[in-house]
Amino acid sequence: MSGHHNSNNIQHLYEGDQSKLYSGVLAHHSDVNSEESKKQVGRIWKIFWFLLVITIVEVVMGMMFSHKMPRAVANFIFLALTLVKAGYIVAVFMHLGDEFKGFKVTVLIPLVLFVWFIIAFLADGGFWLRMNNESPSRTHVTSAPANPNEY
Amino acid sequence: MSQQATVVTTAPEPKLWAGGRSPYNVSYGKMMMWFFLLSDALTFGALLISYGTTRFFSTVWPDANQVFKSFPFMGESDLPLVFVSLMTFILIMSSVTMVLAVHAGHYGDKKNVAKWLLWTIIGGICFLSCQAWEWTHLHSEGGWWGSFLDAGIPVKDFAHFFNLHKVGNVINTNPDLAKQSTHLFFNYFFTITGFHGGHVTSGVIFNILILVNTVNGVYERRGHYEMVEKIGLYWHFVDLVWVFVFTCFYLL
Repeated sequence: MSGHHNSNNIQHLYEGDQSKLYSGVLAHHSDVNSEESKKQVGRIWKIFWFLLVITIVEVVMGMMFSHKMPRAVANFIFLALTLVKAGYIVAVFMHLGDEFKGFKVTVLIPLVLFVWFIIAFLADGGFWLRMNNESPSRTHVTSAPANPNEY
Repeated sequence: MSQQATVVTTAPEPKLWAGGRSPYNVSYGKMMMWFFLLSDALTFGALLISYGTTRFFSTVWPDANQVFKSFPFMGESDLPLVFVSLMTFILIMSSVTMVLAVHAGHYGDKKNVAKWLLWTIIGGICFLSCQAWEWTHLHSEGGWWGSFLDAGIPVKDFAHFFNLHKVGNVINTNPDLAKQSTHLFFNYFFTITGFHGGHVTSGVIFNILILVNTVNGVYERRGHYEMVEKIGLYWHFVDLVWVFVFTCFYLL
């Protein structure tokens, strides 16, 4: 945690440009060569390598293995790795992990809507898949094209 | 002023949510950037969910290893996912240079902010160039918005987008289904990567603007580099969306 703007004792800076509230310069970050700064830079590069390795794993899996394992298992692994990547980008690169808990919750709670999105998408997609496979009108159309010579 | 200060010290500390202070220590601009990104996430989410539904209900679907197997200057190569991996690497890399620019900004290190912003802009332009090539290539293979819709299109024009070991039968017995899938696939592909590419483009423009401001010393005079952090949030979000686009179009 870099804690670069979590001080509660800087309210006097709130007058005028409120952006100063969390300016690194005013939060006594002055030496870019300090231990703390180097530690943060090291952490950024560590996350970069981590994201790179996950991406390589995904690509190798996509190229070689995903067709040899059950599709549901492959998809589950891909989605899990994607969410891990997304989590690190948001928490470290976007510094959401360094914000106050209340702010994290405020930003993340609306994403709960995606739970409903996914339920709706599976239900809707499942219905149409059944219609596409079983509907007699569909079979009729595709098995008897208007112009038999076109294929 | 000093009189007022004395009064303030004796008065009780104002309540956290009573106004006059930022309970989360987040400035207005940064908070609004987060909420904008939240709304943008829902827009991208809707596009990807719509793509997912369509794909889920389609009996057959073009195979990513067949559609995306080309690499510039490699002719008729069979290199599935290699080019898009390069694009992903470029975008992750530019995200790192951006976060390093933000880090330098926290320390008021003008020279490093400018350096890392420049690298971020270069990364963004590389990514857009890759995307331009990919679009051009797919267009040359017949894919575009609204393509593969005419009844007269022969099977051989779209059969190479499919993994024939898996769906060969369907393509021969029911070519209409495969053609419709190809049509939908390209509509979604160009719409979603286009919407993402539009975000990358505007991100590059924003980065150029703040690079000019940084070099001119605007943020140095202002006393902080918060603008770099706000644009950085936008840039990371673009990378974040790509992580999902990559998974949905190229892996699943």
